[in-house]
Amino acid sequence: MIELKNISKSFNGVEVLKDISITYQRGKTNLIIGASGSGKSVLTKCTVGLIEPDSGSVLFDGKDFTKLKIDEKQEIRKEIGMLFQGSALFDSMTVEENIKFPLRMHTNMNEEEMKERVNFCLDRVDMKGVNMKFPAEISGGMQKRVGIARAISLNPKYLFCDEPNSGLDPSTSILIDNLIKEITEEYQITTIVVTHDMNSVMEIGDKVIFIYKGEKFWEGTKDTILQTTNKELSDLVFASRLMKKIKSTS
Amino acid sequence: MMNTFYHIGQYFMLMARVFQRPKKIKLYRKQIIYEINSLGLGSFGIISIISVFIGAVITLQTASNIDSALIPAYTVGFTARQSMILEFSPTIIALILAGKVGSNITSEIGLMRVTEQIDALEIMGVNSASYLIVPKIIAAVFINPFLVIWSMFIGIIGGYLVAQFSGVVSTDEYIYGIQYAFKPFSIVYAMIKTVFFAYIITSIPAYYGYYVKGGAIAVGSASTKGVVSSSIVILIVNYVITQLLLI
Repeated sequence: MIELKNISKSFNGVEVLKDISITYQRGKTNLIIGASGSGKSVLTKCTVGLIEPDSGSVLFDGKDFTKLKIDEKQEIRKEIGMLFQGSALFDSMTVEENIKFPLRMHTNMNEEEMKERVNFCLDRVDMKGVNMKFPAEISGGMQKRVGIARAISLNPKYLFCDEPNSGLDPSTSILIDNLIKEITEEYQITTIVVTHDMNSVMEIGDKVIFIYKGEKFWEGTKDTILQTTNKELSDLVFASRLMKKIKSTS
Repeated sequence: MMNTFYHIGQYFMLMARVFQRPKKIKLYRKQIIYEINSLGLGSFGIISIISVFIGAVITLQTASNIDSALIPAYTVGFTARQSMILEFSPTIIALILAGKVGSNITSEIGLMRVTEQIDALEIMGVNSASYLIVPKIIAAVFINPFLVIWSMFIGIIGGYLVAQFSGVVSTDEYIYGIQYAFKPFSIVYAMIKTVFFAYIITSIPAYYGYYVKGGAIAVGSASTKGVVSSSIVILIVNYVITQLLLI
């Protein structure tokens, strides 16, 4: 479980996050939604320590991440897997080397054990046989899946996904969403997904948090979001004709 | 002015992170070998071409400027050797590498920053500054002295070829000149400079790449700043080392 308590962050005097408190549950897919520039990515980066919040605390299973020393933070980070918006695969390494990298850094596995783990992770994301390809040689959707494989290689307790569907076609997006949900439930991971894709919300949103202008405006589930009376949330969720139609029939 | 102090402070803070003890040293070995090949051996060709022509031009210029019969002809060889060993090979080659290797380092690390690969390393619990920068510094500090010695050798050969084919000085006089009053400390001095310059041409561009913010334009701009800053620092350090060691 991850708890955020009263997180605030400003850049050059502009308040980007305002006193945000959230609890992310274990074994659930927690979605952070909001318009572009609302502070979703900054909130995620504050959670994993890539950006230091100005105030507040981030508790990973009770340990306050903001108060830990660098070495202690690195110990917690070994338990974090992250899928980046652009996949962030190391382009000088093959797919196999990318997935082996965290294993090399943090385990004492031999080459054979690492290879076995790589094949297991690739199999889990349905990406067999691409071991020796470079990231530039595979499609965006495949890169995302390899990104997930790398993120789960160390059996993480926490999984962060920053806009996992950006730039993907609808069917690949659903595939990625379902994969995230399956992995979350199978390994009882605390998963946080940053998105503004309403399909993802409706597919996998066990818990949905709406961020508006740096504030937490709404919290609920994929089932309760359709009944929301919150104007700002409605403007975001029901912006498309399709979503308006879904609302009218629900 | 405040901006300069800000960069100097941030640079030293980065270096403090860079030189933290790595957890898995064996992972660095492979990177160091890769960087020796990429940063050092990849520059072998351009260094050879530049050095042979510098040696040739020094020989021609010295020969054409000696009018007095009181100045012996072997001065041409002596001047070519001294110029190559003391200044051209260590300093000019460092400035050229600051452009070639420096821009490469800034672009590589800068691109990793903008594509979130550095964030990915941090999330994996890896000290990204150390993992990315230490192998480059060690590789350059190791390989650059060999490149500079090669440059000295090939530069002096360039002068010999001019003596052989243009006739501005006889080859016997040239060979006598390159051996005349040779002080082995000149080589030590050049090697000390080379090691400092190797550190500068890797660490400063790496700093600019590591803190890039934005996209492709920002990476290009950082690359230019990295080359300009490292070139200026090389010239300042060159003066300081010369003052300390030769005067």
